[in-house]
Amino acid sequence: MEPIKAIDVRIFPHRRLKPGTTEKLLNELLDLEGVLKFLVNGESLPKVVGYGPARGTRVNHPDRKIITVKGKEVELLVSVGDIIVTIRHENLEEFVEKTKAILEETLNFGFDVRVGIFTRTKTTVSDKLKVAYGIEEDFDPNLIGLVDPKTNSKETVKLIGD
Amino acid sequence: MSYKPQYTPGETKIAQNRRNHMDPDFEMKKIRSINDEDIVSVLGHRNPGESYKSVHPPLDEMDFEEDMMKELVEPIPGAKEGGRTRYIQFADSMYNAPAHPYDRARTYMSRFRGVDTGTLSGRQVIEIRELDLEKISKELLETEFFDPAKTGLRGATVHGHSLRLDENGLMFDALQRYVYNEETGMVSYVKDQVGRPLDTPVEVGEPLDEEHLKEITTIYRSDNVGMREDKEAIEAVLTIHKARTDGGFGLGVFKNDLKAKLGDDK
Repeated sequence: MEPIKAIDVRIFPHRRLKPGTTEKLLNELLDLEGVLKFLVNGESLPKVVGYGPARGTRVNHPDRKIITVKGKEVELLVSVGDIIVTIRHENLEEFVEKTKAILEETLNFGFDVRVGIFTRTKTTVSDKLKVAYGIEEDFDPNLIGLVDPKTNSKETVKLIGD
Repeated sequence: MSYKPQYTPGETKIAQNRRNHMDPDFEMKKIRSINDEDIVSVLGHRNPGESYKSVHPPLDEMDFEEDMMKELVEPIPGAKEGGRTRYIQFADSMYNAPAHPYDRARTYMSRFRGVDTGTLSGRQVIEIRELDLEKISKELLETEFFDPAKTGLRGATVHGHSLRLDENGLMFDALQRYVYNEETGMVSYVKDQVGRPLDTPVEVGEPLDEEHLKEITTIYRSDNVGMREDKEAIEAVLTIHKARTDGGFGLGVFKNDLKAKLGDDK
């Protein structure tokens, strides 16, 4: 595998995004040049109430919805707080410029766009254990830094495009 | 009372709002009205219309040891009936919610009788006899203590006070007990305070205007009124901090005492 130069862009809106806005943003960002992967971060939303007197009842959170990104259905597991996009280094300047334009158009509140390294770049012990203990077979090294070591990447990662 | 309580130091509007909350003689502005039955259903301790559960046999038929305190202190109505102790719990957003946990604790203590309150970083619980709880809840929900968007009525899973608001300006709630109606602009509770679905949604009115919240909030924020702008409050806090630190470490205070204990005084 030939190494490529990649860098992260972190989009931090000043409000938590609704599924509709997230869907619109992701679709528009995916059209830009050089996009490699997205990490949609936020506060996780439970499916059922975990504790207390209402334990076991369904939550039906309006933010936990299935959105369509480039024709693929993606279930949002979080209330979207920030989006980290990994892109090819050569497309950086153009990407940031266009992203800001898209955000200004879609959002009616403030946002920050920062460039840096926001995902893990090296395999950690947890990643190795994941393979060693057979939690997951054929762990794709491209997914490093995207998936929480405790979760199964099949549930949290969606492949879109080619 | 032989002295006039000052409640809290400070010369800014934030400090004044805190004093207003704590002063039992200050009447908080009533901005909405919610049915008694709706409040009962949101609290979720009993069904609307159901009678209050109390001890059996009734208090009058019970034998008690003689207690001076019982004659000295007049019981609150709920205690007189032998009712259960129940709670209401609020979470207040850091984005200029009208009240915040410490303010609530002080307010409850100075405004209401017979309460037990617990302060945590993100939530504030008030425990009192069920009968009195409903009266207090009504006051807390109908006046400017409460904002439908920035204050949450939460018994369990309270997380959200320090998170960013959502696009409609609502505080994060993992159980989504209240929803914002984009057409009418109203917030209504669809679940009770612990997350059990309600039969009929309870409307609690419109979220307050952000500019208005900045006027009535009791939270110091650098984008509104920072605490450093309040000289008097800072002075009081620093004085307490210094006294606590000196006293806690026993600097100069317990020096000789400590020396004696260590056998160092000779």
